[in-house]
Amino acid sequence: MTPGRSVENALLAGPLVLFLLAVLGFPTVLSLVYGFSETGFQTLTAPEFSGLKNFRDVTADPTFWQAAWFSLRFGAITALLQCGLGLALAVYLAPLARAHGWTVAILIIPMIVAPAMMGLMYRLVLHEFAGPVPHYLYSWFGWSPSFLGPANVFKTVVVAETLQWTPFAFLLFLTAYQSIPQDLREAAAVDGTRPWRLFWKIELPLMMPTVFVALFIRFIDGFRVFDNIYTLVGAGPGGSTTSISIYIYETFLRRGEIGKALAAAILLFATAFVLLSVAQRLLRGRAP
Amino acid sequence: MTFRTCLRAGAAALALVASGAANAEVTVLGWPGGPEEAALRAVTELYNARADLAEENKVELLFTSRDGFFDKLQVDLAAGSTAFDINLIATYSIGRYAPFMDPVTLSDQAGAVFGDTVLKTMQFDGQQYGVPTDLSLHFLYYRTDLIDALLADDAAKAKYSEIAMKHLGKAMEPKAPADWTWEDFVANALYFTQSINPESPTRYGTVIQAKNLLFNMMVFHSWPRSYGGNWMADTGAITVDSEAFRTALSQAKMLFDLGATPPDSTSYEYAEANAAYASGQVAAMVQWNAAAGELTAAQAATGTTAPPAGPDGRFTHIHGLGLGLNKAAENKDGAIAFLQWLSTEEAALAYAKAGGAPGLASETAAKLAADRPDLVQVGEYASTYGFVMNGGTSENALSVYEAQAKEFTGYWAGTQDLDTALKNTAAAMTDLLK
Repeated sequence: MTPGRSVENALLAGPLVLFLLAVLGFPTVLSLVYGFSETGFQTLTAPEFSGLKNFRDVTADPTFWQAAWFSLRFGAITALLQCGLGLALAVYLAPLARAHGWTVAILIIPMIVAPAMMGLMYRLVLHEFAGPVPHYLYSWFGWSPSFLGPANVFKTVVVAETLQWTPFAFLLFLTAYQSIPQDLREAAAVDGTRPWRLFWKIELPLMMPTVFVALFIRFIDGFRVFDNIYTLVGAGPGGSTTSISIYIYETFLRRGEIGKALAAAILLFATAFVLLSVAQRLLRGRAP
Repeated sequence: MTFRTCLRAGAAALALVASGAANAEVTVLGWPGGPEEAALRAVTELYNARADLAEENKVELLFTSRDGFFDKLQVDLAAGSTAFDINLIATYSIGRYAPFMDPVTLSDQAGAVFGDTVLKTMQFDGQQYGVPTDLSLHFLYYRTDLIDALLADDAAKAKYSEIAMKHLGKAMEPKAPADWTWEDFVANALYFTQSINPESPTRYGTVIQAKNLLFNMMVFHSWPRSYGGNWMADTGAITVDSEAFRTALSQAKMLFDLGATPPDSTSYEYAEANAAYASGQVAAMVQWNAAAGELTAAQAATGTTAPPAGPDGRFTHIHGLGLGLNKAAENKDGAIAFLQWLSTEEAALAYAKAGGAPGLASETAAKLAADRPDLVQVGEYASTYGFVMNGGTSENALSVYEAQAKEFTGYWAGTQDLDTALKNTAAAMTDLLK
């Protein structure tokens, strides 16, 4: 690269680098500083270095582990459900989508709704006295399930998340499914391969990189869930629906333990980073 | 430039971004939406019309969204924002905001206008941090048609006694709600629950808003307080793990276990609980006074009285919204003058007439009897039954409510036992109120 070209590159990239430093760099540095400091709202401008104390406090807090377990379960279950359903829908509806492309637009509508709005919507829809679902269940069957009661709340938030984000997995799988060369299918048909075997032995293996990507994206998204659960049921009785993100929010703003909250956020970031690195490595290993 | 200077610069920049309409002579950050905003606008107009008011001391109002209002306010105050001279405060957050605010001296009329109990809702460490503008407390709402029918029917009374004997171990008689103890409240709730009494006209006897939310603990507090419960003794010792809290928590738990409150009510807050009552499927509930209009409109046969009594008497949690002085205010003199005027009878009456809900002493409230009869009841209950828990205005009061909400709702939902809930609450409160 010539010196002139190098200067040109630096000039062109400079504004973007400065923008990223301002938008991402400053909060990141601030989070790191506060994460290793004794900081509350009264000492916001004068944090005192406290080493690893915040990290020790976080890891010694049973609520943090309760939240981590909730996030892990929620992320894993919703990712599996969304990808399972998304894959089934993609394969089943592929002919329809090919013939009438507009049907895909209808199927992905739930993704357009903001998660916080989705939470509020379910809060209304599932309310025992104001919501249509419990109303008709009670009117028709004399049955009034408490969707948001302690026994069902986890299942309810899992179903709500699955209904909203299955279209995302569906879209990824549909694209992957439709990009499988048609001549492979034709060759298999000539050899007398049955449809089920065609799917298991040819189509699914070719879609596996997409399956892994979808699983990881959905897991990370589920693991860091905040808005729809927070607007639907909050932290839950006894903290039963407290995800890691809700834990961080409540520790930061409700309890004013800024250092501890940011230490938890750093741990969350580190976990996500490790998981993504593993995912990337796995994907590279599986690349044809 | 040191790192600390960088932080200050960052905080100042944030404050500048958040400032919006920060060019007024005296800027008041008020509680947005609802009657509070309408009332504040009315009194501001009245104040600004005063002939002797200098142009630079006129008041301008600033409103943000209610969502996360107190969280945003906390960040603004901590950053030393000069975007407003006067800001909203609430009883439970005074201690948290006090380091960023200045105490105020109210007008000579304040004591007579509001009374000591109400003024206390704006005090921290013995100093007055704000003018009380709106007072919140609790009423017992009940269906008069159902209670009247119960009291007039001997067979129903016998059934009531039978249910009370079975679940409470006493053959209790139904009473008028004004005479209820908490045991009567529980017995009534059980009687009006269809899963216990299939002949009940309502599906549930009561609705307890038990979402893991700090405001729901305020509604619950009148219950243990009537059994002598408090957060801490005068010595500073935490007293939450007491017989009073055990009794109140256990009684409420019985209502959850027996289905006398909707199973979903562990996810209910104000709006959901009101919707349950408004549906006609709930016989009685303890709720904020602000719900009176909504509940009465939905169920015309609704009566209100003070929350039930316990061995120590009848109590209602009270807290107030008010306006106080930002330490970083740029026009402190103008702000103090407005706050002092706001604590006069003229301002309080105007505020009430415009839809606000100030807690007024009986003599002042009597002047509004024709326009706002509800304020007479609010004022009477506040001065007679009102209480603020020891430590209820401390720096970490909000966090104490949060800790209680988490532990108590966990107990009600069955995720932990009573001993664990109280042990965890006491440990958290010891840490927060030390």
